[in-house]
Amino acid sequence: MKFIKKLAVAATTAATLFATVAGGLSSTVSADSIPTKVTKKTTITFWNGMSGNQQKALQTLTQEFEKENPNITVKLENQGQYKDLQSKITSTLQSPKNLPTITQAYPGWLYTASKNDLLVNLKPYINNSKIGWGSAAKSGIKSSLMKGAQINGTQYGIPFNKSVEVLVYNKTMLDKYGVKVPITMAQLKSAAKTIYEKSNHQVVGAGFDSLSNYYVLGMKNEGVDFTSKINLTSAKSKKVIDYYADGIKGGYFKTAGSQGYLSGDFSNQKVAMFIGTSAGESFVKKGVNGKFDYEVAPRPGKWNMQQGTDIYMFKNASKEQRTAAFMYMKFLTSKKSQLYWAQQTGYIPVSQDVINSSEYKNNKDSKVPAQVEAATKNLYTVPVTKNSNAAYQQMNTIMQNILSHAKNGNLNSLIKQGESQFKNAWNQ
Amino acid sequence: MKNKRRKNQWSAWWFLGPALLGIILFSVFPILRALVMSFQSGSLISMHWTGLSNYKYVIQDPYFAKALQNTALYAFTVVPIGMVISIAIAWNLFNRIKHSKFFEALFFMPYVTSTIAIGIVFRYIFNGQYGLLNYILRFFHLGTPNWLDNPSMNMITVIIFGVWLSLAFNIVILMSALRGIDPQHYTIAKMYGASDSEMFFRITLPQLIPTLAFLLTVNLISAFKVYTSIYALFNGQPGIAGSAMTAVYYIFNKFQTVGTPGVAMAATVLLFLIILVVSFLQNKLLNKVGRR
Repeated sequence: MKFIKKLAVAATTAATLFATVAGGLSSTVSADSIPTKVTKKTTITFWNGMSGNQQKALQTLTQEFEKENPNITVKLENQGQYKDLQSKITSTLQSPKNLPTITQAYPGWLYTASKNDLLVNLKPYINNSKIGWGSAAKSGIKSSLMKGAQINGTQYGIPFNKSVEVLVYNKTMLDKYGVKVPITMAQLKSAAKTIYEKSNHQVVGAGFDSLSNYYVLGMKNEGVDFTSKINLTSAKSKKVIDYYADGIKGGYFKTAGSQGYLSGDFSNQKVAMFIGTSAGESFVKKGVNGKFDYEVAPRPGKWNMQQGTDIYMFKNASKEQRTAAFMYMKFLTSKKSQLYWAQQTGYIPVSQDVINSSEYKNNKDSKVPAQVEAATKNLYTVPVTKNSNAAYQQMNTIMQNILSHAKNGNLNSLIKQGESQFKNAWNQ
Repeated sequence: MKNKRRKNQWSAWWFLGPALLGIILFSVFPILRALVMSFQSGSLISMHWTGLSNYKYVIQDPYFAKALQNTALYAFTVVPIGMVISIAIAWNLFNRIKHSKFFEALFFMPYVTSTIAIGIVFRYIFNGQYGLLNYILRFFHLGTPNWLDNPSMNMITVIIFGVWLSLAFNIVILMSALRGIDPQHYTIAKMYGASDSEMFFRITLPQLIPTLAFLLTVNLISAFKVYTSIYALFNGQPGIAGSAMTAVYYIFNKFQTVGTPGVAMAATVLLFLIILVVSFLQNKLLNKVGRR
């Protein structure tokens, strides 16, 4: 009995100790003065979710940076897909010592990190004329993208690998049926209808890869921001939902379903147009493989979603590491690097000068560059607030539920159900 | 006598110590931590007490109810169906087929292959437009459901996949159990002119009861924890419109993606209690059957 008591005491002590060590540490490095040179050997780690060509391009750029800065070593640590990267960051936040120097991330993933003061405010670095640019404007980075890397108004991130949504269409088919490339959502609807009818119901007119984006941008085009105040049963919201649901009922629209992307159906000529990420062009190209001509146009409607990640810095880094990391970020977003990066990966350049440059626009291998300037005029980001990321993801499930029952379900009750799920996502 | 026993006990503790420490650290402590976290809210780095609100949220969340329904549906269909099919295959392999070792190895292959990889292959088999399964169904002029993209078919797809997955392990264990039965039973039964089915129901099945009890328990518990196959089948989402959401998927989603560990842990505690009760009832039932 005595022994069991002793054991219990020992176990409790061990458990308490463990819990304190695991959960109690926080970083205390302050950033009063910024070293403008890295004189000592410094190693920084960079968590990323880049694979294939993207990874190769990142490695090439990194090697070039290390050659220019022999004192700095950049350890690229791939964490799998975005989902895995997000999970890794979320679970490592509780032991900040194990966080990397910098990471790729969507701002929504780091809401809690910013609340708990784990991120480095990059403004002093940006404004520093020696290692930064002097000001954000002088960086040449598109201001809407720069703003998208803020959390609650603080510049924690620098935009890096960005994409927008574009309309990909089967030019051969549109020409055959005499359909003009749609610019507005109304035109998209009528174009899709025409194709569906003229193809004897064999080809679906159009579809959207991301249903969250569809809804969020649909509401934004109606003048409504994505906040917890959105009411799914409101007239504007119903208008947005009905637009897609009517199309599915009529057979001229479809969703990506479990495949997640419509590029497969597109290359098999089961769908004539789709709205998807500009970074997916390589998949379209591979799938189409010369069977027909495809083209890319700006997404119909006024607003477009800026997607892709930014680079954020964690506070556990030492002063030297922070400087080194910022130099690396500056290198990655420089015009030269961005041109190479965009050409290799299909991401859009973050630098406005590169977007406008003829070198980028006249790329013969890709159809996206020529459209980027028009496609990035009005960029929207989901505001980073508590649970906004969860609600944004929930929107996908809600829309899937409504649209998969569009043909034979009671839409009003599904929308009502969606409204309570949406509110549930905000209030957890 | 008393002294000797005490001495024995002490040395036993020494032997148990390392393992016990591991169990406390990696099994008992996480369970307790989960229990504590289920009463807290906030993110992992800044948790604070919130009382029963996580439990309230989980119990009122229609997704959790749906997740539990789906999990129960999965467990109570996949386990018995998988078991019956495995017994049939194992019995036939054992009884009627030459080179059964070869087929046994073949049937065991899915067990040593990653579920994610198999799931990706099945995604192509189940594809509504180009899939192999619908190609075969069309050939026989049967209906071709949209296995992956129709929410009302999603659970059926998961169940078919689950049954197929469960065969590998079951067959191998059953084969070894079948080999353990004294062949003299069959020789004597044949001498008295027993039919195949009589031999199966009078000799084989009763002898298999302990193995079946083990398989049922293991299968049921793993069925309650189904997650990977759904992740693989639906490309990282719990079915279309969340229609194949299961309890563990719900927990993972709340913990890693949504970032509400308290809610996830409340769901974990509830699931833990459910599995505990079900396993307990099942053991009672099997004990009764075994005694007969």
